[in-house]
Amino acid sequence: MSGSEIVFYVFAFMAIASGIATITRKNPVVAAVWLVASFFAVAVNYVLMSASFLAVLQVLVYAGAMMVLFVFVIMVLDVDETGAAESRRPSRVGRFGYYFGLLLSGGMIVWVLLATLSKQFITPGARIPPDAEFGSANAVGRLLFTDYLFAFEAVSLLLLAAVIGAVVVARSRREREKEALAAGMTLEHMHAAGLHEHLQDQDQHEGMVAGPYAQTDFGEPSAIGHEGGN
Amino acid sequence: MVPITHFLYLASTLFVIGLLGVMLRRNVLIVLMSVELMLNGANIALVAFSRFHGNLDGQVLAMFTIAVAAAEAAVGLAIVVSIFRSRTGSDIDDLSLLRD
Repeated sequence: MSGSEIVFYVFAFMAIASGIATITRKNPVVAAVWLVASFFAVAVNYVLMSASFLAVLQVLVYAGAMMVLFVFVIMVLDVDETGAAESRRPSRVGRFGYYFGLLLSGGMIVWVLLATLSKQFITPGARIPPDAEFGSANAVGRLLFTDYLFAFEAVSLLLLAAVIGAVVVARSRREREKEALAAGMTLEHMHAAGLHEHLQDQDQHEGMVAGPYAQTDFGEPSAIGHEGGN
Repeated sequence: MVPITHFLYLASTLFVIGLLGVMLRRNVLIVLMSVELMLNGANIALVAFSRFHGNLDGQVLAMFTIAVAAAEAAVGLAIVVSIFRSRTGSDIDDLSLLRD
């Protein structure tokens, strides 16, 4: 058994074990740390496949930026609440859905393994050893800025849209109210836009279950809104 | 040298672990993490084929996958924050607003 094989088996085992630990932990913080371990093991496997630049990217973007984002969000939210949120009661999809999901996953892995075992993917090119340039930042970058230039620019646009979308989605209603007032909207406009709802809260009859936004409470309503309501 | 099949075993196993997490867990944060695991499995398969065909296109595609995963995580976590603002708990079975 050669050195690269030993490294592969050790880190493949690490990736799988950390992945299993990720989906079985109750506390999301612990799960996130296991996920980081899995990402590092996957990065080592990238190096084995002579994708050194991608391995660096994996550590920087996945294990660095993305997991920091995850842990920050978990910390901002109530950790106790996220840990206890998963109750023991059976899922609303029911026993059937639960076992169907299990069966589907099991069938999928059997299917993939059978397809892999038939070895139909292996081409004669598989035995060609790559040159030293293969997978380096130089070679990948040249490809990225020639053949894939349009896709590259499209991805940059996608990231911009994701950042703006995240900011818009995660804003609280009080901030939206404040901005609407700053933009010169009157209370009636805000009411029509669904930003300002505690006027209609009073005439909702009791049996009706309020929608998620109707029962949203971000602390005290803003003083400006109350003045307008009177 | 490690044969390509073994990398594909690793990729499919990681993908199925992520799939199990998405299907069986109900904590929305862990479901998002499981999606990341699935994307990692797909990336390993891409890079393995890229290596064993001597063609760099697979690695470029894996790079795009990482960028899209970053965008997905940003928007997904923003939705999680928004859900936590409007209601308590992170059980995805309680989020059936569009169905009711």
